Amino acid sequence: MAHIMLTLLIGMVLGVISVASNPSPYFAALGLVLVAGVGCVVLMGHGGSFLSLVLFLIYLGGMLVVFAYCAALAAEPYPEAWGEWSVLGSVLGYLLLVVGAGSWFWGGWYEGMWVPVDELIEFSVVAADSGGVALMYSLGGGLLVVSAWVLLLTLLVVLELTRGLARGALRAV
Amino acid sequence: MTPTHFTISSAFLLGMMGLAFHRTHLLSALLCLEAMMLALFIALSLWSLQLDATGCSTAPMLMLAFSACEASAGLALLVATARTHGTDHMQALNLLQC
Repeated sequence: MAHIMLTLLIGMVLGVISVASNPSPYFAALGLVLVAGVGCVVLMGHGGSFLSLVLFLIYLGGMLVVFAYCAALAAEPYPEAWGEWSVLGSVLGYLLLVVGAGSWFWGGWYEGMWVPVDELIEFSVVAADSGGVALMYSLGGGLLVVSAWVLLLTLLVVLELTRGLARGALRAV
Repeated sequence: MTPTHFTISSAFLLGMMGLAFHRTHLLSALLCLEAMMLALFIALSLWSLQLDATGCSTAPMLMLAFSACEASAGLALLVATARTHGTDHMQALNLLQC
């Protein structure tokens, strides 16, 4: 289990490096999908299956799909992947940085640190993370109403930004 | 610092460095911002899971909702930039350059 967690955490860092190293946006979106998938499995390894499912649905299925459609705006004749020297240089630089920072800490990492301790305190019917999210509808109802308002406001902001013609930020090109 | 701690911290900082040093496309800068939000979501979820504090599970959900708002506003700005300047290259945003 510790080996699995080690592989997942390394996969997460490599995925973020693949996004941050300035490739063409098509490949950066692919790297972000990898990071989100591996992050979901990390969360599942700690027992948070509901939060991992929510991340998959909303983040990958909602937000990244929209980013993938907008990648058509960044079309270029020769997209740079990670084999290009400029991108590879950034990848190696970030790798060096992470390994250097990690070498500060890994002296104190022991066997049991990679996985959480399974605390079966009591056998409950409701899973921990689902029960916690249910609080958003009972005690946290005010914040739920506020976030619904914020989402409506964002919709209006986006519609105003992309209105075009005479007013707004768009020019009729 | 535990390995999990180190991983999510370095994921956040790498995303921030990618956002700061991006040279060509506005869309890749927005993708780095999304990577930062993802690292924050995983950090908040792991916080509530490792401390057995189930009440903290609402924080990552709300953060995901607000980060979706921010992503959509960023993408609307991207579309506006691409429609006005013809491309989303960062060098095209040079109206305030002296």
